[in-house]
Amino acid sequence: MNVELKDIQKTFGMVHANGGISLKIPAGTIQGILGENGAGKSTLMKILSGFIRPDQGEILLDGHTVSIHSPADAIRLGVGMLHQDPLDFPPLRVIENFILGSAGGLLPDQGAVLRDFKKLAGQFGFSLDPEAYVDSLTVGERQQLEILRLIWLGASVMIFDEPTTGISTAQKMKLFAALCLLAEQGKTVLFVSHKLDDVEGLCSRVAVLRQGYLVGEAKQPYSTKKLVEMMFGKTISVGGRKPCRADKVTVNLSKLRVEDYRLKVRDVNLDVHCGEVIGLAGMEGSGQGLFLRAVGGMTHTVGGKILIDGRDLTGRSYQTFKKHGVAFLPAARLEEGLVPGLTLTEHFILAEEAKGFFINWDKGRLLAQERIKEFDVRGIPANTVESLSGGNQQRALLALLRDSLNLLLLEHPTRGLDIESVIYIWNKLKERCQKGTAILFVSSDLEEILQYSDQVLVFFSGKVTPPLDASTLTTEKLGELIGGKGWPESTDEGKLA
Amino acid sequence: MNKIRWLNFGFQIGAVILALLFTTVVLLMAGAPPLQAYLYIIKGALSSITNISNVLSAWAPLLLTTSGVLITFAAGLWNIGIEGQIMVGAIFTTGALRLLQNSTVPSGWILLIGFLAGMAGGALWAALAGVLKTFGGVNEIFGGLGLNFVATAFALYLIIGPWKRPGIASTSGTLMFPDKLWLPTLPKVQFSVWALGLGILVVILVYFLLRGTHFGLRLKAIGKNSKAALLMGVPTWQYVMFAFLLCGVFAGLAGAIQVTSVYHRLTPAISSGYGFLGLMVAMLINYQAIWAAPVALFFAALNIGGIQLPIVLKLDSSLSGVLQGILVLFVLLVEGARQRLFRKR
Amino acid sequence: MRTKVFKITLLAMVLVIAATACGSPATATPAPATQPPVTQPTAVPPTAIPPTAVPTVAKTFTIGMVLVGPYNDSGWSQAGYEGGQYAVSKIPNTKLIYVDLGFTHQGVTPAQLAEQLLAQGANMIIFNSDDFKDDSNTFAKAHPDIPTIMFSGDQSWVAGQAYLNFPNMVNIMPRAEYAKMIAGCAAALTTQTGKIGYLGPLINPETRRLASSAYLGAKYCWTTYLKKDPASLKFKVTWIGYWFNEPGTTLDPTKVADDFYSSGYDVVMSGIDTTEALTEAKKLHDAGQKVWAVSYDYRNNCSTAPDACLGVPYFNWGPEVMVQVQKAIAGTFKQDWVWMAPDWTNINNPDTSATGFINGQALSSDAAAKVTQLISEMASGLNLWTGPINLQDGKVYLTAGTVATDQQIWYLPQLLQGMEGQSVLP
Repeated sequence: MNVELKDIQKTFGMVHANGGISLKIPAGTIQGILGENGAGKSTLMKILSGFIRPDQGEILLDGHTVSIHSPADAIRLGVGMLHQDPLDFPPLRVIENFILGSAGGLLPDQGAVLRDFKKLAGQFGFSLDPEAYVDSLTVGERQQLEILRLIWLGASVMIFDEPTTGISTAQKMKLFAALCLLAEQGKTVLFVSHKLDDVEGLCSRVAVLRQGYLVGEAKQPYSTKKLVEMMFGKTISVGGRKPCRADKVTVNLSKLRVEDYRLKVRDVNLDVHCGEVIGLAGMEGSGQGLFLRAVGGMTHTVGGKILIDGRDLTGRSYQTFKKHGVAFLPAARLEEGLVPGLTLTEHFILAEEAKGFFINWDKGRLLAQERIKEFDVRGIPANTVESLSGGNQQRALLALLRDSLNLLLLEHPTRGLDIESVIYIWNKLKERCQKGTAILFVSSDLEEILQYSDQVLVFFSGKVTPPLDASTLTTEKLGELIGGKGWPESTDEGKLA
Repeated sequence: MNKIRWLNFGFQIGAVILALLFTTVVLLMAGAPPLQAYLYIIKGALSSITNISNVLSAWAPLLLTTSGVLITFAAGLWNIGIEGQIMVGAIFTTGALRLLQNSTVPSGWILLIGFLAGMAGGALWAALAGVLKTFGGVNEIFGGLGLNFVATAFALYLIIGPWKRPGIASTSGTLMFPDKLWLPTLPKVQFSVWALGLGILVVILVYFLLRGTHFGLRLKAIGKNSKAALLMGVPTWQYVMFAFLLCGVFAGLAGAIQVTSVYHRLTPAISSGYGFLGLMVAMLINYQAIWAAPVALFFAALNIGGIQLPIVLKLDSSLSGVLQGILVLFVLLVEGARQRLFRKR
Repeated sequence: MRTKVFKITLLAMVLVIAATACGSPATATPAPATQPPVTQPTAVPPTAIPPTAVPTVAKTFTIGMVLVGPYNDSGWSQAGYEGGQYAVSKIPNTKLIYVDLGFTHQGVTPAQLAEQLLAQGANMIIFNSDDFKDDSNTFAKAHPDIPTIMFSGDQSWVAGQAYLNFPNMVNIMPRAEYAKMIAGCAAALTTQTGKIGYLGPLINPETRRLASSAYLGAKYCWTTYLKKDPASLKFKVTWIGYWFNEPGTTLDPTKVADDFYSSGYDVVMSGIDTTEALTEAKKLHDAGQKVWAVSYDYRNNCSTAPDACLGVPYFNWGPEVMVQVQKAIAGTFKQDWVWMAPDWTNINNPDTSATGFINGQALSSDAAAKVTQLISEMASGLNLWTGPINLQDGKVYLTAGTVATDQQIWYLPQLLQGMEGQSVLP
């Protein structure tokens, strides 16, 4: 089926998620959709598959304008989407999942369905036990189940959102084979990814999105350099850094191992010096967030040691880390950092060491006033935090930090902020560095990483580079590493399984 | 600011009027004269010293349960298990009184020990809900419902089993305690100043706890955003447990009062629904402790005054419960409507 | 935010439902609009006035009743309620108000309910259940000026075991033991399997002696009229735990009755306030099974399932309530304990007999004749509470020829030998 998107626009609040995207995809091709996090890939795909309604624009299938109001509409028209987190029902059996969502009557003919299932699975070389429970399957097997289900439901346009995350190499090979088979059968495959290798190896054509716009298309053979440039934009010269790294090591990580259900970060060794800024780069979900939280005691480590200021805090809780001068500022400010409904004054009282049983409100208000002034928060002590703008919330979060810290962990410290706030916040952070605080921060903004870090760690699918000197790095090189290019061939690829 | 406050107040009044209108429709449908029905409720609650004292003796346990759930609500918890906590409090009080009633311990001391036992019982049952929540990952609503069920079953077992009246096995209750183990009452009426004093004391305590202490502020922070509270250094699970315990203590006290001042024995219905009623009061007052006392008094008056309806108008006695429920529903609905309205602007 | 509000609203609704559901007992829902007016208007037919007995200025005398169950339960509470109505119909310038126990679930005690009746002008309070013993004491003590009647208690029995000196307290209770004997007889004459089930409420001396009386009647007719071996008669009692079904608290009487029927007990006698045994019998009877029930409490309640009903031993409170009300009006009400016998000249005379037995349609004419024979034998002096009678554990209770005293019957400590079921809970 030929797919055509015409001038698709979608805004969320002030953000242009899709700013007028037009794209033609002929039947029988595997189309790559490439872009960094927040580039608008997922929004575009969700519009095509009926999860989101566009503000404007048209979708044409085989030349006919269609209106897709829901995922059910989409599947009726032959468009199916395979999500990054499979939308299945883990407590059910494979075959039950398979039947779910079918348009059939109340009592589906189990026998016929089972035959269909086995036939399809055979076609694609998937070995799935129809009686197994879904929660016993691996991510790769759940994907296979979803693919079969969508085909069975009659999908002829299939969207895959980051399908190679969290599956083994063997499963990846199987998946790619299946995708090629689908394309041969004349189906249209949309492959959404940030992994350059995967896109280059699989897709016959690729469209690159950046900040909500289609910035370019390319066909095989690709130039990696060009793709990176399109993904991350032109390199802007990086301003001068003012390193204030001291000799004293404040954080020492040895053979640190962290994992969640889809990622394993292995054997990280790192010394963080007082006053040093280390940027953690990588596509979202490559392991840097997990790593950052592990260093703050918020995620359990599975191996290795964390020494803060010489003390072994491995396996201790965040409370203990906090006592030893570690602070964490989450990216989701209102979800994790601040308490909506409470005022600034109440926040400052909460963050202070409680003295006595009763609250001294006058003192609290004074403290709030002082900090508000010092950190230039646009608000008054009686304001609730959710009434502040994003930049002011971030300033408030900084203002809540204790005076002397050994280590400050930041998740996307300037995401969504205006330039003025960005500069202000980094000034404040640098002030802390001068007092000896070390900073580890995650950011998807490559310029920010290069501008403010002394050293950079790049994460890709759980693999970590050794510390790279930021002054010798370029956005291009960084972009390649983030996209999985230029890594030394590692022998433990199989560990991802 | 002031204007908004008046507007909010207007919305609340509107909700009450809506609830009254709705109840009026219900009354009309039941073929009863609404105005007369309301008058009878007021009369039944206020027309005599006896009635007023009955209202006051229903107010005391309701104050305690409302105060208790205000604390758990502050921590973002739906302590549905409070019914069971009252029940177990009552069981513990009864147990202590039974153990000591034939001893030489002065009755004042026995009562005191009974109250302490009740507090311990309520706290124990609340702690179970808390442990299920913090360590077992069981939502407190489901844990609470289960524990309520277990508490009732336990009370029943005791009433027709080990604590049955001699020669009798009836679920109606255990043997009545002798007068000396009744909480002292004012002459001529059945209500105890002690019980009421305790209720009022606890409500004041909770008001200051939530408003003016670090403990209260931290609970609120946990209730509104426990992740952020944790990052700001609040030991969240410990505080959640503590909120459960405190609520359990107050619920246990309510149970102790039911045993020593109202029923003077253990019955399967000893909690009298005061736990659920307390939850409703707390929702009605939008979790503001300052309103707890008057609204709880109003609910107690509805409970007592409502008895007039079946006597005089042959209406089902649960009608005042319906009125209470409708009130809460309308206040919540109007609050939801208000939030939507203001966001649109 | 919206979903949060929605969730809260949903939960609130659940709470409301929970709170209101707790508010009323699940047995029966009163239908206020369709019931005839309960209170008597002040206009009184002139023929009923005994002119000399009433003071010249007629002031309404109000009887307040605290009922354990709904006034229209077709059982114990309705019998009591109609007893009050009987008194009102016979005595001019009286009226009846009542309230049922539904409210105790919301923290109100029966004594407090009685006080609410006082607020409505009640001059006398009647507590209609053995369950209200504690509360009627509390009430009588707190209101020594209010004549207080408790159905079925013994606290005003000077020779009883629980005597308390409340001058304003009267206990009244029909000697339903006789009616139960007749009922037991009807059951024994009908059963094809020789197995009679007894659906008991809670266990106390009253329920023990009534169940045992039913057994004595059954055994007498089984051996004397049918000439069968007493050992071949099975009589089993299952207690549900309260006077009527309270879901979650008691056993479900419907299920208990069903268990009886499905395990070969073809006659079930009801000892509880409500009519589940009869309803269940009707269901099975309509399905073609040969099963029957003996109902209880209320004279008209065979009418719900005439085809399956062998008869009903019932209470007729009216005459004695009338006597007590008259005393209260006249100012001669004083502490008393009355255990009223049936009128043996006609046990079903509504004006004279405190208890009786009305045959059901399902009782065969042959059996009915034998039942009539039993009644006439008892009227001329047959007393089934005559030894030898052994208790369930085999202990001799009455030696041969000994007639039981009132105390021995009232305070029966166990079921009798030959009965299955618990005498007391372990």
